[in-house]
Amino acid sequence: MTPAESVARPHAMADFAVPAVIVALGAIVDWASAAHPAAMPLWLPYDFSWFAWLGTWLFLWWYVRGFYLLPPSERPHPWQLVSFMLGMLLIYAVLQTRYLYLAEHEFFLNRIQHIAMHHLGPFLVALGLARAPLRKGIPAPLARIVFSRPMQRLLAPIQQPIVASLLFVGLVAFWLVPAIHLRAMVSERLLWTMNWTMVLDGLLFWCLVLDPRPFPLARIGYGVRAAMAFAVIFPQIAIGARIVFSRHDIYPYYSICGRFFDSISPLYDQLVGGMVIWIPPAMMSAIAVLLVVNHLRLHEEKAPPPLDPRAARIAAMAANWTGRP
Amino acid sequence: MIAGKAAGAGRGRGLRRAPGRRALFLNAAGLILLSALPKSSVGAAVASIVDIGSWDLPRLAFTMADADTGRGVTARDFRGKVALLYFGYTNCPDVCPMTLHNIALTLGRLGARRDGVRALFVTVDPVRDTLAVLRAYTHLFAPEIVGLRGTANQLAALASRYHIGYSVSPATASHPYEVNHSSGIYVFDARGQARLLIPSLDSGTSDIAGTAAALARLLALPARQAAMPHHLS
Repeated sequence: MTPAESVARPHAMADFAVPAVIVALGAIVDWASAAHPAAMPLWLPYDFSWFAWLGTWLFLWWYVRGFYLLPPSERPHPWQLVSFMLGMLLIYAVLQTRYLYLAEHEFFLNRIQHIAMHHLGPFLVALGLARAPLRKGIPAPLARIVFSRPMQRLLAPIQQPIVASLLFVGLVAFWLVPAIHLRAMVSERLLWTMNWTMVLDGLLFWCLVLDPRPFPLARIGYGVRAAMAFAVIFPQIAIGARIVFSRHDIYPYYSICGRFFDSISPLYDQLVGGMVIWIPPAMMSAIAVLLVVNHLRLHEEKAPPPLDPRAARIAAMAANWTGRP
Repeated sequence: MIAGKAAGAGRGRGLRRAPGRRALFLNAAGLILLSALPKSSVGAAVASIVDIGSWDLPRLAFTMADADTGRGVTARDFRGKVALLYFGYTNCPDVCPMTLHNIALTLGRLGARRDGVRALFVTVDPVRDTLAVLRAYTHLFAPEIVGLRGTANQLAALASRYHIGYSVSPATASHPYEVNHSSGIYVFDARGQARLLIPSLDSGTSDIAGTAAALARLLALPARQAAMPHHLS
């Protein structure tokens, strides 16, 4: 603990300065987006939310802080740092920049937004192995709450494999029920609820599935994780197909409040949107299954050497056809 | 070492569980959830008037120039009136004139009560729609239709408040001047609370009688009740 503390000391200034800068910039963007919405750069929030702003930048900062506070042997690989950042920035891009406007005015762009905030973004965040850096990087009083036992117990039921999988596809289906979709897109509060339940559920699901650790450390074993990633493919294909093959405009919101592309007909927009639900999630699940299998392989290779003295010879013989050292 | 042993046990346990059965169960559950997409609403057009009284929309708020007086107005100036909010532009070939015509027909059905209603026609093409153009245009339809023109920021603020999309692309060598806008009309009660969403009023078969009846119901609400959330009224 003492080496870490000695490392922490030079950063003491940054511990206060960086969050203060984040809050100050947030206040400026908040004011600007209210006073000059038409003049906001495309990459800044045009519909400012403190929750989204702080959620993005504080967690990015805490991850980076924790990453450098960890002893080098315990740090995630630099690629995992990059992956975490890319995931966070992707979620920021589809939820806070002007893309939000596009996602509100074209069904297929809305579906791409959902893929980014429920699948790809959280997937990349999960690959970033944020647990250790965040544990180190989040200010101690807050970390005690976030990583406390009651909090873990609160999460346990929704991290149960069947519940987590049902929640994952159930949320996709729920927000696509036509009457609910209309209401969610019109009502600011429900839109916010929809977007953030998708993000949080995506994070919970992919962190569970892509956890590289073995069972007692991770909540579930490798086999169940692969099964989860695999199982969620089919309901999503069914939902996508249902939308692709419907011959009517199921989601009138986009006509009511205006489509972004005048040249794309409502039915074509809907068809492309259905394909976005149908194809990319299945591909991501396939990648997830491969990653789970790879995690299993890496774990087995780290397994302690067997006690049988003949084991080395047997393994050497087996290596001729398994390819394993 | 201990971790390794425990991990071994966990691995075994994970694999012993039959993923096949679980996957099957999950898919069945997924399909049950999918059936939550109700058949009836698929294909059936959305209702001609949607009650959004309980949807938590923000109160009507804006600052713009009123084409009739040339002066700045805010939403407060329309408190006490049932307000229809519609976005369009005067050069619109079909949707806007048809919608305003239908609004005029609806007002006609209200008889003397029409004075309790104001239709706010917000131009999304303020460069071409000057106040004079806007005034002349709205007067073609009905005196209760108020032309509103805002700066780029005022327009963006009002449109994003109600998730309204619009765009203006000036003419180029290969493309004519193009304006995109929404078809929906938001209806606010006398206190500025969003009450109804009319998906469109732009065809010869639009539900004029139903729209007039819905407006009449909002006009009949006592001022005190109009302020209450929908579920209490």
